[in-house]
Amino acid sequence: MRKTNCKQIRRELDELMLGEAWSAVATEHLRECAECREFHVQQTKLRKIVGSLGTVEAPADFDFRLRARLAKDASSAPIYWRLVRGGMVAAAMAVVVLMGLVVVRDAMRQGENPGEVAQKPEVHQPVKPDQTPPAVREEKQSDNVVAAATPYTIRKIRPAQVDYKKRPLSSFAMSSTRASVLNGTEPAGMSTAFPIDSSVQPFTVSLEDGRGNAKTISVPTVSFGSQRIVQGGNQFAPKRDW
Amino acid sequence: MNFRTTYRVGFLIVALSICVVATAQTPAPAPKAPKPPAAPQVVTIIHRLNGLKMFRLLLRSEQVQSIDALDSAFNLMDDVHTNVIAGLAMDDGETIAAWLPEADVEFGPPVVAFPAAPRPPKSPRVFSLFDGPDVSVIGADGKQVPAKYIGLDAATGLSILRLENKNVVSAGVIKDEPVNSGDSVLLFGPEPVTKTRPVLARMGAIEGRVENVMLAPSGGIARFKVSAAKLSKANIGGVAVNQAGDTIGIIDGLEGNEASILPAALIKRAAQRVLERQASVPRPWLGVKGEAVAALKLDQIQNHGWEMTRAAALVGKHRGILLTSIVPGSPAERAELRAGDVILKVDDKDIQTADEFTWWLEQAGPSSSVEFTVVRPDRPVEWALNVKLSGMLDQWSRVNWRSRFPSMKGFWLIDQGIETIALKPLVALQLGTTPGLLVVYVDPVAAAFEAGLEPGDVIQTINGKPVSAFRTTPNSDLYTFEVVRKKQKRVVKVPAKKK
Repeated sequence: MRKTNCKQIRRELDELMLGEAWSAVATEHLRECAECREFHVQQTKLRKIVGSLGTVEAPADFDFRLRARLAKDASSAPIYWRLVRGGMVAAAMAVVVLMGLVVVRDAMRQGENPGEVAQKPEVHQPVKPDQTPPAVREEKQSDNVVAAATPYTIRKIRPAQVDYKKRPLSSFAMSSTRASVLNGTEPAGMSTAFPIDSSVQPFTVSLEDGRGNAKTISVPTVSFGSQRIVQGGNQFAPKRDW
Repeated sequence: MNFRTTYRVGFLIVALSICVVATAQTPAPAPKAPKPPAAPQVVTIIHRLNGLKMFRLLLRSEQVQSIDALDSAFNLMDDVHTNVIAGLAMDDGETIAAWLPEADVEFGPPVVAFPAAPRPPKSPRVFSLFDGPDVSVIGADGKQVPAKYIGLDAATGLSILRLENKNVVSAGVIKDEPVNSGDSVLLFGPEPVTKTRPVLARMGAIEGRVENVMLAPSGGIARFKVSAAKLSKANIGGVAVNQAGDTIGIIDGLEGNEASILPAALIKRAAQRVLERQASVPRPWLGVKGEAVAALKLDQIQNHGWEMTRAAALVGKHRGILLTSIVPGSPAERAELRAGDVILKVDDKDIQTADEFTWWLEQAGPSSSVEFTVVRPDRPVEWALNVKLSGMLDQWSRVNWRSRFPSMKGFWLIDQGIETIALKPLVALQLGTTPGLLVVYVDPVAAAFEAGLEPGDVIQTINGKPVSAFRTTPNSDLYTFEVVRKKQKRVVKVPAKKK
């Protein structure tokens, strides 16, 4: 019986919004059941942590635009482009196979001539980072050590030498900085996102309308356009009313 | 070929192949779409309402007589709501036109006598809790600049603002561009980027197509309609721009999937009207509801007392506006117009549609006299009737607000230019005051304003009696209000308004 109660109570707690009051039964149960109390505390903490994280939402028409783009990629590319693309893929595969063969051959030759490998450490002197500006440095290095440079050398020293800036990734959530614009149109100079100062929580008020009817209304902190925030509000320039 | 050379060649081949593969995977270039026009003249208006204005808004929405409970964080002075809407920067570099939905909390009594001169406050005193409209403007560069609310043009519903500094936002030339059915337009308006705090917004645009252009009886465009996907009330107030980037109108309503657009010429005229007066301009008010005969069926006309043959004759001629109701105390009632009457002409101009009727009344203006040609169900001939129109800012005067002050029967605080909401004890405790009538607005030209009554005051007694004690109008030339302001008791003596 207790188990069943716990299950039911935890389900109720699970469904409640953060800060929402629970039922009298739940209150009674929580008073007696330490496990459920602990469950509630942990759950509330978790919700608060999750709630404190910002959410990233896809634009309203994301799904539509994604589908449209997929459909476009599949069907709308010109036939010549598809042929060119197919040819390019084949050429790329051939080049990769060829390159593989060359690498295998080199590896075999390398095994035959170990003396060359032994010389490598002398050549691989890392260039001090503060010698020259990054862009110039790579050129100088290639001039100075042109005979000794190997891909290994370049790969090792590049991060230290070049002031490498992380590029924005294509998967960066643009939805957090841009609103949806239909048909992909993006008016030039109109895309700056700006913050709107607003109150922290919606304004909630209980009132009586003078006819004995009581009601509670909640007014959002921000509204866009001419969405009236209270029902039965004023109407400017009404039609058929002179 | 030694190992190093081979390796270098191999490296180049790898790089080349990566390039080839990447190129092959790149989708075909999309056909180039024409670049949409920039519209820097479209700005974003931020209109903030504090707790007191929110109460006034509730009072004007017919929803409230008393406040029973408030959320714990509520404070009269704090901003509780922010409206974000598009605005149009006019070509003088300082005037902004916008369709602010909550503009009615910013101006005085809805029914105004319409003198030629504006009504400046008698005193420069500024209320501490009601510092005037809190509006600001965000330009295309995202910078927020302060603006001053000048007034509402009630005929169009447009609010006119003035930037505190000239040319701080880009202004576009507003020409009276021709608009034709089938034209492509862009509807600009601010839209949310994030729903979580901090709220971010940006100017967005949707594409639309002009469906229908309604010409004004006196020439020019009266309205036009634009169809677009995903239209909602959030688009009202948006600015319509043509393919050349010129402003062609502002959305002032929605009818199904079509947006009704107020054309640029009427926007300019509205701005002129308000700027000339430096105050709100009422629309002409007759006090009737009705429908064009051409839009009605025969039985609908018969329901208003018309005999069948005469009703059929009216329908056949497609003329006139059938009045369906008359507002008590309105100019129409004073002129003895009745429900069922049909107005055929305004100043000798034939009326066929509701828009034509609206147009000619607006051309006449508030406080003007017009001559109607009228037919009546029980009167065989048409006759001429002179009617003196009055002016109205918004619909609030139509609300039977008197019934909302049962405890104040007969004593219409509203007649003294004072708008109030009753506070219940718990709410009063929360606000740090006592139960009574919370003053949410005082007309700056009323005697109460001069006497020092302020929004935020709580009226406890009038002439020594609790506000709830009144059942009849206190007969007095001077009303003594005992009020609580910032936890201090004060006495405000207000001379009665002369009838």
